[in-house]
Amino acid sequence: MTDKESAKEWEPKIVAIVCNWCTYAGADLAGISRIQYPPNVRIIRVPCTGRINPFYIMRALHEGADGVLVSGCHPGECHYITGNLTARRKFAALKSFLGYIGLEGDRTLFTWVSASEGDRFAQVIRGVTDAVRALGPARKLVKRM
Amino acid sequence: MENVEKKLREEAKGLLAEKKVDVVVGYEKGTLPLTATPCFITTPEEADRLVWNPFCVLNLAKFVHDLLDQHHEAQKRVKPEARRKRVVGVVARGCTSRSLVIHLQEKQYGKDEIVILGVPCGGYLDGKKLAALAGGEEVREGALDEGKIVVKTMSGERQAALTGLLADNCLVCRFNRPVIADIQTGEVPPVAEAEREYDPVTAFENLPPEERWTYFEKEMAKCIRCYACRNVCPSCYCRICFAEQSQPRWVDIGADPSDTQLFQLMRIYHMVGRCVDCGSCTAVCPMGVDLRKFLKKLDKDAFTMFGHRAGVSLEEPAPLSAYRETDREDFIFEPGKKSEA
Ligand code: SF4
Ligand code: SF4
Ligand code: SF4
Repeated sequence: MTDKESAKEWEPKIVAIVCNWCTYAGADLAGISRIQYPPNVRIIRVPCTGRINPFYIMRALHEGADGVLVSGCHPGECHYITGNLTARRKFAALKSFLGYIGLEGDRTLFTWVSASEGDRFAQVIRGVTDAVRALGPARKLVKRM
Repeated sequence: MENVEKKLREEAKGLLAEKKVDVVVGYEKGTLPLTATPCFITTPEEADRLVWNPFCVLNLAKFVHDLLDQHHEAQKRVKPEARRKRVVGVVARGCTSRSLVIHLQEKQYGKDEIVILGVPCGGYLDGKKLAALAGGEEVREGALDEGKIVVKTMSGERQAALTGLLADNCLVCRFNRPVIADIQTGEVPPVAEAEREYDPVTAFENLPPEERWTYFEKEMAKCIRCYACRNVCPSCYCRICFAEQSQPRWVDIGADPSDTQLFQLMRIYHMVGRCVDCGSCTAVCPMGVDLRKFLKKLDKDAFTMFGHRAGVSLEEPAPLSAYRETDREDFIFEPGKKSEA
């Protein structure tokens, strides 16, 4: 990892797990509206944030993601009515616990982006990329062999 | 405790004689000094083996789940008309009763399949503290005498007050009275210093993140992945645990320390709102991993974030299978705003 750090051209790798109905559609809208955002995210589409096993997030960090973003519909607008509300609890507990063991808070970020918020999606990606870039490459929990 | 033991044996005898239960899960005298070991009593005559003392360490809810789970499974291969119910009696202190509540909430078995023999609990003897008292030597003889533990080792006799040798979780136990019981024996001792329950967690939270990470790394580096902590935990009853699952494979068994860190992180996370702080995992860990430091954080968070204490009420759903519209949102990322650490 040290060689990676020293390399000037290090670019953060961010895994974005997004829901099909809001954030993915929001990303689509950003795309068709030609709004620019950094190419650092790898988007994984899932039916709902409630479908995200928190293990996905842990595993992504383990596999070397520099940051993980989870985004779904705003509370109250979930396609499955309450999926994002239960997800919110899971993430609150997860984020707090990861912070407790000493992981940087900005490695795991959660937000809401609706289908009509193409510009918000781009802003979020910009914000997340900046936040993760500021932290530098991930070192903790990362599998090396 | 003498009276409790006597009453307990009588009750167990009665239940078995009247065929109200098929088996009573309890504790009997261990083979080593100052120990007690889980036992299964199936006839009224055997009931005199039951003991109740500060050497009863493990949470017996685990065995209740195992017995009933096996029975349910076996019944599937029996003709419907030949199926029978099996009732398990269990000696339950506070934390054991909370684990039973969790099982009931998670619909693992019905209330009619268990009979809870509630016992008062003043805490149990911590193996590591006892080993320290014995100076790391083998305990040849030991006795509990009027609140004092006396041990004899090769190099002589030592003694200390039992209260100083109780497990950390017992010292701050809020629920030393069973939360549910069909039969309650004995008087419940005064509540321990429950208000200090989260002090170690708060102290840890106040350390710089790097120090916390170093501690996590150091503790997890001790772990040999024997899975004893999982096997003993009443909340860990999955037939196929993620640790052994191969499709998908969640966690590798490699020489990389991060594999073990990931295993621990995942298991610990499964305890949100489900860990009753019985201390069984810490007690059985052969490597002395400080699991409690991390498990207790989940307990604190479940309480501060969702107002939930694990296994305390049958009505209240588990925190991660419920929600409120007003749940905290302060961790949600807003572009342009500085997020809290
Ligand atoms: S994680 Fe440990 S302390 Fe918590 S319920 Fe399981 S065995 Fe008991
Ligand atoms: S660690 Fe998780 S998956 Fe494994 S037995 Fe415990 S609760 Fe089940
Ligand atoms: S009992 Fe201890 S050594 Fe064994 S898997 Fe659990 S933490 Fe690791």
